[in-house]
Amino acid sequence: MNKIKILFFATIRDRAGTKSMELDISADMTIAQLKDKLGADHPNLKESMKSVLITINREYAFDEAVVPPNAEIALFPPVSGG
Amino acid sequence: MTETLPVIYSITESEIDLNDLLARITLASTGAAAIFTGMVRGITSRGGAHETEYLEYESYIPMAESKMKQVADEIREKWPVVEGIAIVQRIGRLHPKTPTVLIACTAAHRDTGVFEAARYGIDRLKEIVPVWKKEVGPDGQEWVEGNYIPKPGE
Repeated sequence: MNKIKILFFATIRDRAGTKSMELDISADMTIAQLKDKLGADHPNLKESMKSVLITINREYAFDEAVVPPNAEIALFPPVSGG
Repeated sequence: MTETLPVIYSITESEIDLNDLLARITLASTGAAAIFTGMVRGITSRGGAHETEYLEYESYIPMAESKMKQVADEIREKWPVVEGIAIVQRIGRLHPKTPTVLIACTAAHRDTGVFEAARYGIDRLKEIVPVWKKEVGPDGQEWVEGNYIPKPGE
């Protein structure tokens, strides 16, 4: 098992109801599988998982990427700074 | 060139000090600065007309600062003539007329691409730097969502 930390921002944080959580995941879990798991465990997040941006250790990550041990994952909507 | 090229990138809750930032990216060799700053707009007429009481900004700060550095690196790659670069985003609760973001680039002369470099900086910030704003107005509050989906390697 891998222990990871997940951070939520903006609309995703509102729907998750928390800023962060820690999770134990299987060692070969991909980003796509992590999204499925979060959507299943937290029904409020299910709809968001279609368009959410995800980062691994502060770099943008995509469905096929495998989540490394002790990863800092973040989920958020497209950015709107400026 | 004898001085090292200055680059500033930061997320801050403090007021953006244009004069200080400009001084820090001014070198003996620079004669031009292009500065873009954005501020909170209280009255919007383009698109869905509405009024804004304030914007509440938040950021994934360590990633945001690393992506701002990436934007600065991209500017240097595209416009090697650019000498100093400052990229600053203010977060927190910001009211109309308050500057929220600043991109400034300095170069030897104005016809070197320095205007385009600053334009590129603000456009890129709005694509890849993780900052979000919630708009609060007389009719309630709503998160503003961008529409850019970063590609692998961004």
